[in-house]
Amino acid sequence: MTVPSSHLLLLAALLFSIGVAGFFLRRNVIVVLLCIELMLNAANLTFLAASRMHSLDVPGGRIDLQGPIFAIFVIVVAAVEAAVGLALVIALYRRKQTVSLDDVVELKD
Amino acid sequence: MSVANALFYLLAALTVVAAAGVVLLRNPIANVLSLLFAFFCLATIYLLAGFQFLAATQILVYAGAIMVLFLFVIMLLNLAPGPKAPKLEEVGLPMFLRRKSGVTVVIAAALLLLGASAILGTQSTGVEAAGAMPREGIDAIRPTPGTNDGLAAEMFGRYLLPFEAVSMLLLATAVAVVVLAKRNRPGDRSA
Repeated sequence: MTVPSSHLLLLAALLFSIGVAGFFLRRNVIVVLLCIELMLNAANLTFLAASRMHSLDVPGGRIDLQGPIFAIFVIVVAAVEAAVGLALVIALYRRKQTVSLDDVVELKD
Repeated sequence: MSVANALFYLLAALTVVAAAGVVLLRNPIANVLSLLFAFFCLATIYLLAGFQFLAATQILVYAGAIMVLFLFVIMLLNLAPGPKAPKLEEVGLPMFLRRKSGVTVVIAAALLLLGASAILGTQSTGVEAAGAMPREGIDAIRPTPGTNDGLAAEMFGRYLLPFEAVSMLLLATAVAVVVLAKRNRPGDRSA
């Protein structure tokens, strides 16, 4: 693949923007969590694009590994976030029988 | 344009469409399946870019574990599709913009423009501008030899402490999730 790395970054920016839009637009907690996952994936793609920019395509050339390593850590954090978020969703549903953010306004009132 | 490049642009378009589906579809199951499709496309892009281990991890952890967890919770709670949001034609543009959703779309579009201009404005810096050939010739047919070895050496060498910290984080999460999702029986004093 000889695509310039900036195109990878552009794809990441697009995905992140879509994630931000969904995060603010949607009122379903589960969909909001999905949008967070989308944003984390955009961050991963950015890490990989940066790693690609800092690697050299010559025999024995330096291959940057910090990008992939950080992407792995991001994946772990995403898994943790999904687990805790969904546990909160279940606790919320048990208490209020809803997953809509419009119905969770205790701290606003 | 090589096959790999054409495949990248096709996958990128599919990813963006699937991501839009996550935001726009009203059925939570459809949202999850749309995101799942986006993750598979991204995994293929990682593969094309020469990150084989990341591609495998993406499918194993994201598609295999996280998305199944989401589907499980949605089916457990038996969620119905949400109410339809008012359309642009129904409320008119000023009302649409006055609503929070209109403002959000504008903010996200501005964010995207900002990011895109920053990326396009600074792409000629760093290693690529230093006259060195960037690692662009790598495709799925010619995988980077030693990348996964190097990844393991780094992970258990320089990044051993973060690795251990992350394993503690996973342990703490397992405990926290059990506490959060546990059913409180009447007479149980632990809140």
